[in-house]
This record gives sequence, structure tokens and C-alpha cells, in this order.
Amino acid sequence: MITVSPQNIANSESKIDLANLSPEQKALDINNLNLFYGEKQALNDISMAIPKGQVTAFIGPSGCGKSTLLRCINRMNDLVDGCRIEGQINLHGQNIYEKHVDVAALRRKVGMVFQRPNPFPKSIYENVVYGLRIMGENNRRVLDEAVEKSLKAAALWNEVKDRLHESALGLSGGQQQRLVIARAIAIEPEVLLLDEPTSALDPISTLTIEELINDLKKQFTVVIVTHNMQQAARVSDQTAFMYMGDLIEYSDTNTLFTTPAKKKTEDYITGRYG
Amino acid sequence: MNKWFKSGSPWIWLSAGGVSLSLISVLGLLYLIASNGLSYFWPSTLYQFDMVNQKGENVTVIGEIYDRVTVPAEQLAHLDMDFKGEDSVERLLIKTGNRELVPLDFRWIMVPEIVKTTTPKDLVVIERRTNGNFYGFIESLYLDGKEVSHERMDEMLDRVTELQGQMEELQKVDIGAINYQIERLRLKERKYRLKDELTAEREQAIAQELKTLQQDYIVLEQKLMAMRDQVSRDHMNVRAMDGQVVKIGFEKILKIQTNNQFGFFEKLGTFFVQIANFIIDDPREANTEGGVFPAIFGTVLMVLLMTVIVSPLGVVAAIYLHEYAGKNAFTKLLRIAVINLAGVPSIVYGVFGLGFFVYMVGGSIDQLFYPETLPAPTFGTPGVMWSAITLAILTLPVVIVSTEEGLARIPSAMRHGSLALGATKAETLWRIILPIASPAIMTGIILAIARAAGEVAPLMLVGVVKMAPNLPLDGNFPFLHLDRKFMHLGFHIYDVGFQSPNVEAARPLVYATALLLVTIIVALNMTAVSIRNRLREKYRMLEH
Repeated sequence: MITVSPQNIANSESKIDLANLSPEQKALDINNLNLFYGEKQALNDISMAIPKGQVTAFIGPSGCGKSTLLRCINRMNDLVDGCRIEGQINLHGQNIYEKHVDVAALRRKVGMVFQRPNPFPKSIYENVVYGLRIMGENNRRVLDEAVEKSLKAAALWNEVKDRLHESALGLSGGQQQRLVIARAIAIEPEVLLLDEPTSALDPISTLTIEELINDLKKQFTVVIVTHNMQQAARVSDQTAFMYMGDLIEYSDTNTLFTTPAKKKTEDYITGRYG
Repeated sequence: MNKWFKSGSPWIWLSAGGVSLSLISVLGLLYLIASNGLSYFWPSTLYQFDMVNQKGENVTVIGEIYDRVTVPAEQLAHLDMDFKGEDSVERLLIKTGNRELVPLDFRWIMVPEIVKTTTPKDLVVIERRTNGNFYGFIESLYLDGKEVSHERMDEMLDRVTELQGQMEELQKVDIGAINYQIERLRLKERKYRLKDELTAEREQAIAQELKTLQQDYIVLEQKLMAMRDQVSRDHMNVRAMDGQVVKIGFEKILKIQTNNQFGFFEKLGTFFVQIANFIIDDPREANTEGGVFPAIFGTVLMVLLMTVIVSPLGVVAAIYLHEYAGKNAFTKLLRIAVINLAGVPSIVYGVFGLGFFVYMVGGSIDQLFYPETLPAPTFGTPGVMWSAITLAILTLPVVIVSTEEGLARIPSAMRHGSLALGATKAETLWRIILPIASPAIMTGIILAIARAAGEVAPLMLVGVVKMAPNLPLDGNFPFLHLDRKFMHLGFHIYDVGFQSPNVEAARPLVYATALLLVTIIVALNMTAVSIRNRLREKYRMLEH
């Protein structure tokens, strides 16, 4: 099975009881979530609590619904025609699927990074401050500070500090992905959703991003979707295994990878399918 | 053979052939227009033909050669002309001018009748303000009734030109402004009267103002009269081809040219001066002479106004169709309707513009805002604004379709990226989508400009006239007069080519105007294309 690295041991120090989280420890609380694309049901009765200040990974074979679940958390699924959602996702005890919820405000609290880097065709600087400008912040000094802070947090500052006003499209793929992360954390969200953030990147860039995720959890609750089990093992504190729209198993990463409770999980992580 | 077909070569040949054919037609068109149009400006040689006609009389003809054709002899037989033993005869079309002596500017002469052809150095062509060119020999100059030497001709001409310029300015700017103010005062009074607000006080104020203006007017008119006397001080006697001596006042003369004395570089210089004059001068003599400045100005202004109207309208419509409207049968129908709109003949838009904009909208505007001028319409008559709006409707489908295509091409990752950062749909549109779609929007605008600049038919109904007394832009408040009628190069071509009293004389002018129109459209397009290319460059990296 998976070798337990020192890092995983470090994770286990902060081990918490997933089944009995206190409300303060919960970043998100997903209750009986069902999702339908037209007639087809894509998520079946998912319930789970995501702890604050930790990295939670969703793994599973392609089409198992892990990305769909992730996109429920900041309501990106609203953009899909014919998508219907039942159940609740609570952020601070407030259901984000209630009618009067301001979706834009929600997305400011729950940032997201996509599979392929998607910087805007603007300068590096303007990319980072985009969210702040949307919020009406135009003070030059505040913006400058935010750019430096976010780029440093995204481990990109040293590479781009001399060309902040050049187009972001001139960066490499890995740099673009870190820029997108910087852009997401510039508005200081509470939760950061990463949808297979390294699947379009080379191994070195992947490594940089993984190190970055470890730093990010000091400030944010991170939820990451990955099809790479090693990656999940390396970066996450909790792991959820999903299969065919069901949440099969959800526990701390060490337990899930060393002593899975379910047969399906074991089959998947030992590489029998997927 | 079969193998050759299978190799695909025939298709390559066919497509290459298509490309060459288009290229040849474009180049041919440009060559035809350019060569015919530019030759109008080249100072041509002035000939003197000494001839003996069929009746045995000696005739002298002076002028420029315009055309040269060969006709069969029997065709001339009914004119009682007999060229012994010849099957065909060459004849020349000569521009002889001198309208006060002969009714026509042009005359055909038979080459066999010519005894001697010379190009006398002292032959001059005199371009006049009225009555067209005069060809002849200058006999004598008179300064204030006294004969003076020929050397003083340039000096006398310069003086007259300067005086004429001053008079024109006085008439157009100063007297024009006073007339405009008097008209506004009259309207003001009428407005008060209509509203029953004309108090004795106001009436007196207006009368007072009117009085001052009229006094100013009288002063200016006297000045103008004095200048008129001044300008007609000198004259010259010119001997025409038949030996008659004609007195021509200097005030009628624009230019005296001795083409036969010019070397190549002098001709080249004159050529460019003539082109410049053509561009900056007003037309004369029912548009058959002079320049086309008002038409250039009208064309460009109308196209710019059209662009300003159609761009936001088309973009907004496309955004609604693509971003907000639901995907149902109705929007499908709407889209088909928009595309079909592009196929409606342009004259139909003209009729629509006249009926709807000019009479309905314009008429209502007049009743609401300009009741004092009625029954004379202000906006209820064709004008440059209605032309721009009509053409904006005409080109709307083009802008909508290309903007929509541009919007559809934007990767959804861009929208999602912006939305995920807490931007609303509208913010995403403004900050991300529209900038990225801007090259496509520019493409739409370029196509719209290209189409609008070439349209003439609808304009004839909604605002273009043969001769507009004033430009739509001048120094009188509110400076841009959208209600005014305007001149247009396309209509100018039609008017000069088909409606002028002297079609033969106007032919080179038709080509010259066409060349100018093409140049202006190309220039407008190139500007738009260069803006688009710059935008494209900015967003180039996205296209992979």
C-alpha cells in the first residue's frame, strides 16, 4: 500500500474525530445532497462535514461525481442547464442553497481554482486584483499590498515581481496555475476549492503546487479534487472516496489509505479499477 | 487522366484560378478608376488644328484631345461627308470650351480634314468661375481700364484671388452668422408668441437685438459691395479660335495655365495642386467643376455617425441574444429574422427610413420641440441624422452576427473564472467578456462601415442632396447640425455622371470621384482593421 511519509504523520497529529465535529470545527456541512442532471442523478444522498483549516481530498474514478460535488460548494453548478439540487450545504450554519442567498457573495467566501489554468487576458497585476476591484477596492496601496501578499502566498512573487504589468498569458502553465491560486486567495476566501489543479501541469509544477497547498491550509480550508491517489495521500488530512455518485468512505487520509474500511475503497487504492 | 483527378491537382488549379480571377478584377477595377480619374488632373497639351472642312472652308480649332475613335465612312455619309476611297475615318473629340461663343463644350473633328497640328506656346486655358474653360491667346491686359504689360498678369490674378477669398469668407462666415442669428431671433419671437409669453419687454429686447444685427448686416454688405467693385477692376482681352476677341473680367478667372510651356515637373506640380483643389474646393457649375469637399465631408460624417449609432445597438442586441435570452423557438426565430434583415434590398430601408424616421419620428419631434418653425420642418425632413440612423438599421445585422460569433468563441473557463471570484454576470460581461470579444465586435463594425459607405440608394430618400448650401458642421451653435441635408460621394458620382447638363465633360470627374470614394472607404476600413489587429494581438494567446 502507500508508504507513510513523515508528512502524513505530521497530519495525523492534528487528527480529529470526523464523525463528531463541533460546529466551530466545521467549515462546511453537507446534508443529504442529491444532484440531478435532467433525469440522471449524479450525486446520491451525500452527507459529510469538512473540517476547518485542513485539506480534504475527494478521490474516485472518472465520472464518480467528485468534481460535481466540489462545484456544488460554490454553486458553480447553477451555470449548468437542467441541473437540480436537493439537500443542504451549510456554511456557518447557513444553507447556501436557500433562495435569498447572494451567489456572488458566496463565491467570494468560497474561492475556486479550475483544472486548466484560466488567467484573464490582462496583466499579472490586474489578474490578482480582479476580485478586489469587483468588490470596489481601487486604492492603489491596498491593491499593491494585496498583490504582493497573494503572490507570495502562491509562491510566485519571486518569479514575476519584475513583470507585474506584463500579460499573464505569457506565463508558463505552472506559473499560470499559481497565479490563478493567487487570484483566488487575494479576496481572502474562507474555503478554497481546487478542481484537479495539477492535472494539466508537468511534475515539477505539480510539486510546487502541492507544497503550496500545504502552506495554504494555515489560512484557508482547502478542498481538493484529484484523480491522483499519491497526491491525495501527500497533501490531504482527510480523504473522501466516491464511486458512481455515492460517498463510499470518508476518513482521515492515513486510515483511508492504510486500513480502508470498505472493499470498494481497497480495490480502488490498490489499483483494481479506476 | 483519372490519376490526375485523384491527385487533387484540378482542385488546386480551380481554386488558384478563382483567386487569380478575383485578384485580376480588383486590380483591373482599381486600374480603370485610377487611370481615368487621375488623367483628369494631368495638365493636357493644348492643340491648335488648322483644317479645311468638306465645304472647302478654313477652320481653326483649339482645345484638348478628350477621345479618339475610328468610325466607318458610310456612317458619316448621311452628314454629307465624303472621304474618298477610305473605309473608315478617325475622329477626335476636342474640348473647345468657350461657352459664350459655341453652345457645346465639345466638338468632333475628322482627322483627314486636318491640315496642320501645332501646339503654340502662348496658347492658354483659362479656368473660370462660370461658363467653363476658355481656350485662346491673351491679346492684352487692362488694369483699371489702362493697358499694361503681360508680366503683370500673375500679380493681378493674385490680387483678385485674395479679394475673392475675403469676399467668400465675409459672405459665408460673417454674413452667414448674422443671418443665422436673425433667423433664431425670429424663431424665438414666434416661440414666445405661440406660448403666449410675448411680453412687451421681450418684444422690445428682440426688436433691439434685431436692429443691431441689421445694422451690422448693412455695414458688412457695404463692405462686400466695395470689394465687389474692387474685384472687377481689371480685365483682359482674349482671342478665341475663330479670331473673335472676348473680354474676360479678372473676377471670373480662377486660373490661367500655359500648359504647352510646362516641362514634366511643372506638369507634375500642377497635377498635385489640381488634386488638392479637387479635395478641398466646393463644387461649381452644377457639380461638373470644382471640388468635392462637401461630399467628402458628408460621407465621412454620415459614416461616423452611423458607426456611433450601430456599434452600441448591435453589441447590446447581440449580448442579449447570446447571454440572456433563453434558447427557445422564439429566440431562434429572432435570430433568423436578424440574419434575413441583412438580405433586404437597401432601397427598402430608404423607404422605411423616410416613412418611419423622417415623417413619423421627425414629424413628432418637430411638433414637440420645434413648433415655432412649422410649417417648415426641422427634423421632419430628410437629413444627415436620419441617413445615419437608416444606415445603422441597415448594418445592424452585420454587427449583431459577428458580435454573437465572437461571444460564442470565448472559452467558458473565462466566464467561470470570473464568476468564481464573486463577480456577477454583468461584471463578468463588462470586465472580461466584452474586452475579449472586442476584435469580433470590430470585425462587425468594419463590415458595417464597408457596407454603409458604399450605400447610395437609401440615402437618396433620407438625406442626400445634389447641392447642400451648408456643411452639417459649422461655427454657429450648436455646431453639429444633424437636421441638415448633406452631400455624399456616391450620390455625387450618380449626379455628375447621369444628371449633369454636360455628361461628356463630367466623365473624368465620375472616375475621379469614384477613386476618391474608394480611397476613403479603404482608409476608413484600414483604420478599423488596424484597431482590430491591435486588439487581436492583445488577446492572441487565448486562441489555442
